[in-house]
Amino acid sequence: MHFVIAFTLAIVLMAADHYGQLMGSFRSMLLTTITPIERVATLPKQLYQLATTDFSNIDALKLENQQLKTELLLVKAKQQQFLNLQLEVSRLESLLGTAGEINTQSLQIATVTFYSNNPLSQYLTLDKGQLKKVVEQQTVIDSKGIMGQIISTTPTSSRVLLITDPDHQIPIRIQRTGQRGILSGTGHDTTQLEFIPKNSMVEIGDLLESSGLGGVFPAGYPVAVITQIENKAGNPYLDITATPVADLSQSHKVLILSQATPYLNFDEKLTDSDNAN
Amino acid sequence: MPTKLLNLKASQARWTILISYLIALALDTTALLGHSSPIIPPLTLFVLLYWCANFLDRTHLFSAFILGLFADTLYQTTLGSHALLFSTITFLMIRHRLRFKTYPVWQQAFFISLYMLIYQLLNYLFFSPVLNSNDFVQYWSMPAISILFWPVLTYALKKVSHTAASD
Repeated sequence: MHFVIAFTLAIVLMAADHYGQLMGSFRSMLLTTITPIERVATLPKQLYQLATTDFSNIDALKLENQQLKTELLLVKAKQQQFLNLQLEVSRLESLLGTAGEINTQSLQIATVTFYSNNPLSQYLTLDKGQLKKVVEQQTVIDSKGIMGQIISTTPTSSRVLLITDPDHQIPIRIQRTGQRGILSGTGHDTTQLEFIPKNSMVEIGDLLESSGLGGVFPAGYPVAVITQIENKAGNPYLDITATPVADLSQSHKVLILSQATPYLNFDEKLTDSDNAN
Repeated sequence: MPTKLLNLKASQARWTILISYLIALALDTTALLGHSSPIIPPLTLFVLLYWCANFLDRTHLFSAFILGLFADTLYQTTLGSHALLFSTITFLMIRHRLRFKTYPVWQQAFFISLYMLIYQLLNYLFFSPVLNSNDFVQYWSMPAISILFWPVLTYALKKVSHTAASD
């Protein structure tokens, strides 16, 4: 009898979660319960890192500091160019009379506290959650490109489904030709570009960027680079493999993008987040 | 095995069972961290099966369901799918546990391997994991590897049970 109840309840839960997306808050509750276990599980790794960091050379730290300062200088110079370009695009758009708008996402820095990289699920856990106004479907990027999207949140953490997860799909366009497609995760650190006809002009090395279709991911962010193209007989589409540009398993600090918010100064926001840390 | 342990009820070792589940969950989480291998068996299910075989006064299906939900959260799968898997494997153990308990450890390990094969089969049907050639071999080797894990786990949990029984 107990088994029949458990079996029925499991089937109802599966249906509710798969078709209705009704179980968001229940999953969030379970995730909140399991967060301390995740923290405990990462303790050995953190202790190892702590031990190795303590023994690192002060010269190496000085060198790293110097490199970071140089990088900051370069980023600031690029930001100035970006602001000029932004103004120029606005001027051109007003001349053309179009109502285009540059993406104005605000950013929030988060730290990766846990990551899973098995064939069933590929996700990250971040240290920012509902208390920091993180919500589902926010895009997460690193310094190179899109990593994934927030799929569930707890008060103090959030989970990011990576673009390589088998359940993840992202609408993209090929930067060189503008052709649109859907990029799906494979579960093995790579992605698969689907529904690209055989007569398409696709080349190895082409950069795929987010197209913005669907309204979840903002347009124009780099996603992956095509690494393999196979033309199989009898298949109307090409088999295209692409490698993500973001460091999915190495990035420690990531950025959470917030859409539909007033434009905030990049520097200002970063400083705020740093202070919060 | 002392008579005291044979007569031990699940309620007497409630905290021991709960803590063992938490440790097993933490170990499963650690195994998931980073480039995890599909060859590592689910330790939470192992612990569940051990308690199920040794405490005959309970069905342990409630524990199986809850632990399955935690596994769903951990592996980011559809809610209820691991709960169903855990409940099914536990149910199979319940049907067989009186005989299972009398077997020597190596024979128990063989049966656990069969349960793990069923678990992997159902897992494959439910989630259709995309496995490359290396992962494929590791995925289907997991039931065989379970034979090595079971005696170690049995030894550890038996020690814990003895402590609980003597308290």
